[in-house]
Amino acid sequence: MFFRILQKESVSDLIKGLAQTREVIGPRAKGSEFVFDVIENPDDIVLDYTTTLLPPKKYFLKSKEEMMRYNSKTGQVSEDEVAVEPRVLFGVHPCDINSLLLLDKVFLGDYVDPYYKARRENTLIVGVSCMPTQMCMCNAFGTGEVHDGFDLFLTDLGDSYYVTCQTAEGANLIDKYCETRAVEPADVDALQARIKKFNEAFVPAPDTSEIPLLFDAKYDDPMWEEIGDPCLACGACSMVCPTCYCFNVRDVQDADGVSGTRVREWDSCCFSDFAEVVGGHNFRPKRSDRVKYRFYHKQWGYLSRYGEVLCVGCGRCNTACKVNINPRRVLEALTKGGEE
Amino acid sequence: MAVNSSEVFRSLGVNPYRPWPARITSITKLTEKEKLFEIRLIDEEVRNAFTFESGQFVELSIFGVGEAPISISSAPSKQGFIELCVRETGTVTGALHKKQCGDIVGLRGPFGRGFPFDDMKGHDILLVAGGLGIAPLKSLINHIHDERHEFGKVTILLGARTPNEILFRRQFDMWKHREDFNLYMTVDHADETWDGDEGLVTQLFDRIEVNPDNTYGAICGPPIMYKFVFQEMRKKDLDVEKIFVSLERKMKCGMGLCGHCGVGHQYACIDGPVFSYWEAMNLQEAM
Repeated sequence: MFFRILQKESVSDLIKGLAQTREVIGPRAKGSEFVFDVIENPDDIVLDYTTTLLPPKKYFLKSKEEMMRYNSKTGQVSEDEVAVEPRVLFGVHPCDINSLLLLDKVFLGDYVDPYYKARRENTLIVGVSCMPTQMCMCNAFGTGEVHDGFDLFLTDLGDSYYVTCQTAEGANLIDKYCETRAVEPADVDALQARIKKFNEAFVPAPDTSEIPLLFDAKYDDPMWEEIGDPCLACGACSMVCPTCYCFNVRDVQDADGVSGTRVREWDSCCFSDFAEVVGGHNFRPKRSDRVKYRFYHKQWGYLSRYGEVLCVGCGRCNTACKVNINPRRVLEALTKGGEE
Repeated sequence: MAVNSSEVFRSLGVNPYRPWPARITSITKLTEKEKLFEIRLIDEEVRNAFTFESGQFVELSIFGVGEAPISISSAPSKQGFIELCVRETGTVTGALHKKQCGDIVGLRGPFGRGFPFDDMKGHDILLVAGGLGIAPLKSLINHIHDERHEFGKVTILLGARTPNEILFRRQFDMWKHREDFNLYMTVDHADETWDGDEGLVTQLFDRIEVNPDNTYGAICGPPIMYKFVFQEMRKKDLDVEKIFVSLERKMKCGMGLCGHCGVGHQYACIDGPVFSYWEAMNLQEAM
């Protein structure tokens, strides 16, 4: 790993250079919000954005995708190579980079998902530092900083970026396409000042100690009805979540009645039929059952398998939920009580 | 755990979502609602790589309709084909029931954790099945049959709603006379063809003797049955770590990815579907 200083006015050189050989995707304004989109003009990218409506998940686990073509008479299945043009995701916040590392554990684990893998391998990641909003709670999960999962990371020092070159490819690209200079002691001082400013800007984090234990201890607590009953089962929390990965698979038959396409789409454990088996038995018939399960899996189920919590505190669900169901509220309810 | 074909395909780098073409080679009507399908993978290499354990399941594709998880009913000792005992209930199982011998379906798998067959060797065995719960247990029963000398006393308790709904009735009628299997059958509602027991499967426990220090139990049936059968097994002092249950959930992908079969903090498709009773007691939503 090595470090360089990149003047902000040189960022467009870097983007133009990257665009010569790959598609550049980054945050740009859409109305009063921000979205990840293809950046045709380097001036369109907004690197001091708050958060995007949808997380970068959509570039790896598509909201809807064709998995394979089948012929129902012969049973033959054809898979197209998952064609992904080389691309760079430019301007990804630490929480979102961490979310991709959590998805990697699922889709590049014992069973490798070839669709996810192809897209991951063809995508460079350039991270950028952020300042917390009122919704952010990465301070609860330690996901406001990144140690892995990017090629370059740009920490905002005002007029310049402190660039962390994580991979050789990232280092080569910055060398090739833009002017940088060596780090000086004053830059390290500015970096430290920036880290302090970042940490001080947070709304205090909820207590996360012993969450799995408290989840089981309060599994039948009335708090779940109170929080979960109003759930609209709209699934917006899962759609905007950078770490929700559940999907549904279905066949779409062609008009000839013989061939067709097997497709998969994002799903949500808050949808009413998510855990319903044939014969009509639903293992989570109530809204509150499903809301509880969603948090139980994120805070304990995933943790028990992979050793980390499946939430990066990005705050998107907090904004998306129309009935105020969010991780901060759940954690505060779980840790409430026990006062002497 | 034994290496099974999922691992073989994984090591070959084959897309784990890809179903393999398979042919229905025999269909036996078992009851009004259930049929037994014998299915043979068409590709020889794939067929030879396909090995499994009792208690595991496959994802069966009816192209144009979708996939459904179905437990394997035949014994791992029989190779070259699998048998699936399927009730006509959902869209995929409904479409399967309309298929003819010779028709093509798709198969992926096998998936999940089966019964601990090797650990069970050298012990007495107590198997309890209710209704369609016999489907996964049938594989274990036949596997034990094929390696009968490896086991002590084998007791099978079978329950069904009516005599007409007893699955594999012909085989079990014949087994009633065998000395190497203690088979007890009961129905909730008898009719004129039935001269056996009438009542719940739990009543059969009064008739059996169990050596608690040396017995493995396995239970499979409708969810309501587990708790009551478990209580009977505990009355006989069976070890909770030596009682196994198979949990039904919506296992869509079979690989711990799609999220549909979550049960408490685990996934039925990769952590189960067979769990020890101790494990199941420690899983929220399991019982």
